Amino acid sequence: MRQRKSNALNKLSLLAFIVSALLPAAASAQYSPKPTEWPSYAADLAGTRYRPLDQINASNFNDLEIAWRIKTDNFGDRPEYKLEGTPLMVNGVLYATAGSRRAAIALDPATGELLWIHGEHEGKRGGAAPRQLSGRGLAYWSDGKEERIFYVTPGFRLICLNAKNGVRVPSFGDNGEVDLKLNDDQEILPDLITGEIGIQSAPVVAKDTVIIGAAFREGMTPKSMRNNKGYVRGFDVRTGKRLWIFHTIPKKGEFGYDTWEKGSAEYTGNTGMWTQLTVDEQLGLVYLPVESPTSDFYGGHRPGNNLFGETLVCVDLKTGERKWHFQLVHHALWDMDISSAPILADIVVDGKPVKAVAQPTKQGFLYVFDRVTGKPLWPMPEKPVEVGSVPGEWYSPTQPIPSKPPAYSRNGVSIEDLIDFTPALREKAKEIVSHYHLGPVYTPPTVSKLEGPLGTLTLGTASGGTNWPGGSYDPETHIAYLFACNACVEPIGLVAAPKEVSDMNYVAGVAGREVEILHGPGENAGADSPKPPKKRAAGGGFTRLDVDGLPLIKPPYGTITAINLDKGDFVWQVAHGETPDLVRNSEALKGMNIPRTGQITYNIGTLITKTLVIAGEGNITTTADHPRGAMLRAYDKATGKEVGAVYMPAPQTGSPMTYMVNGKQYIVVAVSGGPYSGEYIAYTLPSAE
Amino acid sequence: MRSAAAIGVLAATAISLGALRAQAPSAESRSVWDGIYTEEQSKRGEPIYHKECAACHGDMMTGGESAPPLTGGAFLANWNGLSVGDLFDRIRKTMPQSAPGRLTRQQDADILAFMLSMNKFPSGKTELYRQSEMLKEIRFEAKKPAAKN
Repeated sequence: MRQRKSNALNKLSLLAFIVSALLPAAASAQYSPKPTEWPSYAADLAGTRYRPLDQINASNFNDLEIAWRIKTDNFGDRPEYKLEGTPLMVNGVLYATAGSRRAAIALDPATGELLWIHGEHEGKRGGAAPRQLSGRGLAYWSDGKEERIFYVTPGFRLICLNAKNGVRVPSFGDNGEVDLKLNDDQEILPDLITGEIGIQSAPVVAKDTVIIGAAFREGMTPKSMRNNKGYVRGFDVRTGKRLWIFHTIPKKGEFGYDTWEKGSAEYTGNTGMWTQLTVDEQLGLVYLPVESPTSDFYGGHRPGNNLFGETLVCVDLKTGERKWHFQLVHHALWDMDISSAPILADIVVDGKPVKAVAQPTKQGFLYVFDRVTGKPLWPMPEKPVEVGSVPGEWYSPTQPIPSKPPAYSRNGVSIEDLIDFTPALREKAKEIVSHYHLGPVYTPPTVSKLEGPLGTLTLGTASGGTNWPGGSYDPETHIAYLFACNACVEPIGLVAAPKEVSDMNYVAGVAGREVEILHGPGENAGADSPKPPKKRAAGGGFTRLDVDGLPLIKPPYGTITAINLDKGDFVWQVAHGETPDLVRNSEALKGMNIPRTGQITYNIGTLITKTLVIAGEGNITTTADHPRGAMLRAYDKATGKEVGAVYMPAPQTGSPMTYMVNGKQYIVVAVSGGPYSGEYIAYTLPSAE
Repeated sequence: MRSAAAIGVLAATAISLGALRAQAPSAESRSVWDGIYTEEQSKRGEPIYHKECAACHGDMMTGGESAPPLTGGAFLANWNGLSVGDLFDRIRKTMPQSAPGRLTRQQDADILAFMLSMNKFPSGKTELYRQSEMLKEIRFEAKKPAAKN
């Protein structure tokens, strides 16, 4: 094991204790990350997004200044406006994905100087990828001697680079790459260039295994009930040899095959794992958060519960063999992909220590299980839910509803959730929603009708609750911190799809509009010729889902909730983010004293340190305190009280991370959006005079 | 107390601005509230939007997991204070994400006209320009300005 002096490690036995609690038991010649580093996308394999650093704290957060910054414009063929990466910092180097080509870059963590860059030119295969741009990150591995960087290209190839110089490692796979469209227990159709499958999340390296999931296009209006499948695979970190595969859609004869009636497991696809997974190296267990099956909102072609769609699956790290599973949503109809890392938490419940896993979700439930056995820590009874009436659909009559912790963000829509700054605004909102079907969580979608309902109005579905950035967890206090969108309203209506457009009976849409195949990102230009426009019914089906420009749903629009996992109770909940300009400057609300509302964004990640919860804003505002921009905010992690904020020129679009180098602590966050192309910005305290 | 030179400069600026305003309609003084697209153009843009943009930005421009909303407060705040040309160029150069630059300037202008109508900016008698330099002269303002004299 490499020994390395670090004068940042001047903290003491307390730190050593925390370090030993955080680190896995060291295998022989295994690299052991330091608490001053950020060795994995989510800080560690448990998905905590936590570092025990405290040089930046409540007393000085407002003094943070920009240490360095780097735009990603020229790392690909065009600037990107959605930079979602979280860098790593290991052994004195910062690594990140960047640019429209998803290049891998290495920077000096103190100065931002570019040390090396590696980009794969994938031609048509990259252009056809379902998940483009620079993605969310990469992975690092070391045996104490060699250091490697792993990432997956948009065209779905696993690349292994020498971390010292960014050159492909020839002994890995085929000269440094593994073609992930091959050796996947299926034929990727229609061909390797255009076949839809990819990934945007960072690979995970645990022990000597690299684990990769799969992602597809947006599933609202699929061209077909048939798609490629999103199996999960583990590869040998040295050779690239495939070690195991987990079939997220069971093959004939495998457990769960019969939850796809009428043989629908044969042709249904998607059901991938596009977000971060977590690993308990000591137990040798991997936790897979699985997404929705083909067609987010219509399941008539896949009757049955559809294991393992929207299921938390625990598999063996060495063999990929399933150990336990829990399906969060039976027969998915709401695009409730499990969207983020299942957080591994060692907690104490009713006086007994439990190795737990806590899964944040879009639907605002935190599902907590014993991560060894899969048993829920608090009951999750199957409760009856509304059965819909879309022709040909199959419905699960019940869904599991966690009894604890309480829902931390809104799911379902009722009149009570609507804007209520004034009675007049509430009345307008009621008129708008009168065109929709409302109900609690798991109210099914409806066929969209011009005379109403236009669909089911939902919260806590596609972009609700917690999305890909996931939550954070403090292993010292056993508190989970979860950002959630509390007002990300999504209307779900279905329209019949003509045969030329889709072979599905129904796809997402609004009555009165022509049904076009909604092209997902990455689809080949010219693949579909334009259809002649259908005759539009007068008035169409469009209703604005805002009230004179103000959000339809009442505040708080976006929240951070602290949940004590030992008890399953909230510790605090605050609105995160400055009140949007439109609300603050609204003539209709002039003179009213409206508490900070938070913002309607779905993609905010939180960072936890010894004393702070740190998260940036997802919206641009212009206030008396700052020019157009967004603020990176810090909260006291014990109370939720805001203790500081610094300016960012654009919204946070990648989750923040932190590290120490040369005795200084840095916070790095990716910003982008609107007119501002992607940039990584590093903050640090001013140097002592 | 201001210097005479400063007053002179101020006066000259006021006079020239006044002269510009007297011409109707002048590009320099226009914003999204001045009827900068036509209904017909917006109707042309609607099916193009649905074919090229709705997959990510939503049937009703409410956004989705891969793309932000194109109506509402967050969208307006993103572009407030910038020019329509900034927004147009962003669309032209980077959208659709899978094949940026694939659409013609005319198509981009039509889509933008549709977006402006969805955001309830008023239509007018002239089509939205497709030249970036013309659009750069038009301000994007989230809030409707007070009535001009």
